[in-house]
Amino acid sequence: MIKEFIDLLFLSLTYMTPLVLAAIGEIVTEKSGIVNIGIEGIMLFAAFSATVVTFFTGNPFFGVLIGTVLGGLLGLVHGIISIYLRGDQIIAGIGLNILAYGATAVGLISIWGNFGSSPFVAKIPKIVVYNRYISPLTISSIIIAIVFWWVLSRTAIGLKIRACGESPHAAEAMGVNIWLVRLGSTIVGGSLSGLAGAYMSIDLVGQFSRGITAGRGFIALANVVFSNWNPLLTILGGFVFGFFDALAAYLDIIVQSIALTYIFKIIPYASTLIVVTAFIGKSKPPADLGKPYFKE
Amino acid sequence: MSDSYNNVVIETKKLSKIYPDGVIALRDVNFKVYKGEIHGVLGENGAGKTTLMRILYGEIKPSKGIIKIFGKNVNFKGPWDAIRTGIFMVYQHFSLIPSFTVLENLVLTSLSMGEKSWDRVSKKAEKIMKTTGLSVPLDEKVEDLPIGLQQRVEILKALLMNAKILILDEPTSILTPIETKQLFSSLKELKKAGITVIFITHKLKEAISITDKITVMRKGIIVGTIETRKATIEKLAKMMVEKDIKVNAKRDRKTSKEVILSVRNLEIKDENNVLKVKSVSFDLKRGEILGIAGVQGNGQKELIEAIVGLKKVERGKIYLGKLNITNKPTSEIYSLGISYVPDSRCIGLVQEMNLIENSSLTHMKTVSKNGFIMWRMAIKLTKNIVYRYNVITKSLKTKVKYLSGGNQQRLMIGREVLRKPKVIIVAEPTHGLDLAATKFIREQLVKLRDEGKGVLLVSSDLDEILQLSDRIAVMFDGKIVALKKADEISLEEIGMLMGGAY
Amino acid sequence: MKREEYLIFILEIAGSALIGFFIGSLLLLVLGFDPLKSFSSLIIGGLYDLDYLLSEATFVMLTGLAFSIPAMASVFNIGGEGQVYLGALASLIVAHHTGNILLSVLIGVSVGALVGGLMGILKVYKGVNEVITAIMLNWIFYYITLYLITNIYYNPLAPYESIRVPKSSRIGYIDTPLGRIHLIFFISIITCIITYIVLYNTKIGYSIRVSGLSYKSAEYAGFNPSKNVVYSLVMGGVFGGLSGALKVVGFSYSIDTTMSSLYGIGFDGIGVALLGRNNPLGIIFSSIFYSMLIVGGHIMQIELNAPKELVDTLIGTLIIALSLPYAYRIILSKFKIMRMVRRF
Repeated sequence: MIKEFIDLLFLSLTYMTPLVLAAIGEIVTEKSGIVNIGIEGIMLFAAFSATVVTFFTGNPFFGVLIGTVLGGLLGLVHGIISIYLRGDQIIAGIGLNILAYGATAVGLISIWGNFGSSPFVAKIPKIVVYNRYISPLTISSIIIAIVFWWVLSRTAIGLKIRACGESPHAAEAMGVNIWLVRLGSTIVGGSLSGLAGAYMSIDLVGQFSRGITAGRGFIALANVVFSNWNPLLTILGGFVFGFFDALAAYLDIIVQSIALTYIFKIIPYASTLIVVTAFIGKSKPPADLGKPYFKE
Repeated sequence: MSDSYNNVVIETKKLSKIYPDGVIALRDVNFKVYKGEIHGVLGENGAGKTTLMRILYGEIKPSKGIIKIFGKNVNFKGPWDAIRTGIFMVYQHFSLIPSFTVLENLVLTSLSMGEKSWDRVSKKAEKIMKTTGLSVPLDEKVEDLPIGLQQRVEILKALLMNAKILILDEPTSILTPIETKQLFSSLKELKKAGITVIFITHKLKEAISITDKITVMRKGIIVGTIETRKATIEKLAKMMVEKDIKVNAKRDRKTSKEVILSVRNLEIKDENNVLKVKSVSFDLKRGEILGIAGVQGNGQKELIEAIVGLKKVERGKIYLGKLNITNKPTSEIYSLGISYVPDSRCIGLVQEMNLIENSSLTHMKTVSKNGFIMWRMAIKLTKNIVYRYNVITKSLKTKVKYLSGGNQQRLMIGREVLRKPKVIIVAEPTHGLDLAATKFIREQLVKLRDEGKGVLLVSSDLDEILQLSDRIAVMFDGKIVALKKADEISLEEIGMLMGGAY
Repeated sequence: MKREEYLIFILEIAGSALIGFFIGSLLLLVLGFDPLKSFSSLIIGGLYDLDYLLSEATFVMLTGLAFSIPAMASVFNIGGEGQVYLGALASLIVAHHTGNILLSVLIGVSVGALVGGLMGILKVYKGVNEVITAIMLNWIFYYITLYLITNIYYNPLAPYESIRVPKSSRIGYIDTPLGRIHLIFFISIITCIITYIVLYNTKIGYSIRVSGLSYKSAEYAGFNPSKNVVYSLVMGGVFGGLSGALKVVGFSYSIDTTMSSLYGIGFDGIGVALLGRNNPLGIIFSSIFYSMLIVGGHIMQIELNAPKELVDTLIGTLIIALSLPYAYRIILSKFKIMRMVRRF
């Protein structure tokens, strides 16, 4: 019994990782005032590109790096659309998700001629702890959470970012370059989402399949709200949501019923919904979130 | 006070600003300020004082003319050039981050000067607070501080950035009389420290009490600069205003004793669950204008919102005639005969909708039948409003946001008056409007009174209250501290009551 | 002013379509396809079969409404997918058990309404962001539907699809001079027209629009903006559920076990709504255009072996392009086209 439980806990850690990374990224973006619901799309693009790179170079680290960089680039695009072109941030995010789904499917077909999934690629080597495996990215995600918490609350750049999200007019009057800070934040946010996506294909599964992210980008958004925009709390939230994800996978393996697979798959989404509903009353988003900035 | 050339800190020669649409905001302005002065710039709305200051601050580019700061020609590309030269402007609306602490705000500002150490900023701030006597609690959130202290944080910001010239834009408009006194003594301290202060205002008395020199502006030109000790209120008023805009509110009409709206022991909380209205009672009679005077933020807004059902009444009752309307839904209160013109044109109107749709906003009963909207009726109504209230617009289908403020206000008031209410509540009806619109609207309010309606006027403009009201109530800290007939209360008394004295 | 607004409106749509096609061409070139051949195959293939074109348009027309109406109240309903699945499932089950067309459709619609209502209540009374609820519900309903059609309502004679809708409860087609056209198309057109009338000529439509444009103005006017948010989401759910119900009861008469016939209708509806500028009448046209892309995509795949997901790529780019209203105004004003427009 204990052994199974510990297995489940370790599995939760693996599922927690992308939810923490993407959430931290989105926290940085949202603290600066921009909302990016396209992180699901970024994760998908990153997962795909990381797989492609790893496939052709044989080097999983390089794949993860490219995935992260691509995420940053997509964050840049979203930033330009939101900040300079003053586009509707929600709609742009929706478009990005749809685009990602289509483009990665097209890519899957044109590179490997397969409509479902790519061949398996090299994975990131794991660290062994008590006969179980933990990914270095999982540990990194926790460290990243702590680092970003500290940066946002205790440093000058963190102050600037928060100022943009709370009162951009006041911040600008105080010499903060709103455009640059917000753009930088969306790039950082995109990079972390990219890292999360790359992790999913290279580290967690070992291949890319259509729709591999399966809504995890949105669960990460739920994690942002759950953690009240505090990077430290995303670890807790990520673990809770990751636990349900792991539970679904675990039950699937144990119960071995094709029919019930579908029912188990519902667990992460239903639990996310319930958790968010229960905890939401206490959260306070940045005051200027999602509004394009118009100079007076 | 030597007037030697070396002591000129600001000088403009033939400074002009003409906008692309032809409006002349400034014309050949020769403005001179000497070191260590408290220099007042006096003028009505639209006189050009703010435009002049914004040009000095680098926010607006002049069309013509020379600007010299500390004797050197300057060509500012933005406020940061001005700040680097030693000028700092404190606006009516502060540029502070409300959810940050005072220290965080100061650090943020210092970052732009390259200063990254929270410690050094903190120490410098403490030093400045000591030498000037302007103190603020560094670790409190700005949003938790009273307005007077928030303003002080702005001034501290300026000093932190080594400002030698401080421009204050209507600083007392949001202060109580007591806070105003505190501000003035702070300014005297700053003067001692060698800082030059430019003080924009439209209040004659203030200008005389605190400044060394006064420059009066009118319609984009400088009418004259006069030493304050040689100035009188009458002289200044004459320089400022072209024609008398006093509306002849006849008060010799017999006002009926019939009470139309009565409010008893109201207690109302705001969004943060803070008690904003603390046991207010008054009666509004038919055929009278009851003016509620007071600095914004003393509960007036919550009071009138509660009367129309937009805010919950915690305790107390509201009666329309004999009917208890406490906490009834807004739509019901409107249909019982109360109309409300709010202080914000973004609330009273839907800026993205056109005139016809906006006119229908509170006329659903007239304009709709069985759930369907009869647009023909709505158009008729709109035409009526536009005609009677002189709303200038190219077409009825234009979006309201393209109308000028004055025309939007006319539309709103016209719409509410045409509901033929028994009671009409207006808040800040002429705020930000030009002279013609102001005159028109005030005339309309008097007309309503003459027709036997009850008019509840909430305004932070004392002149307006005095001109129009038959009876005046003063609100301070959520209570009505005085309720008297207009000719039984003086301007000074109102001012003191507004500030909490007594 | 109005004429200028119309011209900008058209330029926006044309501009977005151009960008979408431009990027699509680039992608095709990269992948080794001839853009011209591909697009002509797309367009011709799309328009070839009128009945197919209009039928496919029906479903996205309705999910377009499902997104637009809440959008009028400033709410984003991306739960169209889930509403479609549930509406399809519910009507399939009811048709199977009762054989009654009206009841099937009604239940399908009601289920959609409940989903919308749930999203609305969670948003208004619990403050839960509707984007998150929508996506979670989408996935939950996806798996519920999948489970039920593969385990309980499966078709023993055909493992790739669910049970078939009994003949008595099918909505058929009519014969017109242009050929055979499914009735469901006309149902959706009527729905759009009714929606337009409600939105622009009734008190509740007006109240919803005011709530969406200015929450505080709606409060001031005595409307109840929170309730309007819920109403608009209920309406959105109704359209979503109707779309799913009509697909099952009026077109495919079953649900295939890969869910491919239902998947994507909700998301496509978002594109349709945006292209139709959230106007029910505009959506009629944009849904037909969209349908051309979708149907054409299938043909393109068959003829040229180009993946049909390419169309998804096009659509995604189009949506991103459509999120940029101000961009066009900025660009236009920079190129002084405004002056030309003013002269018209």
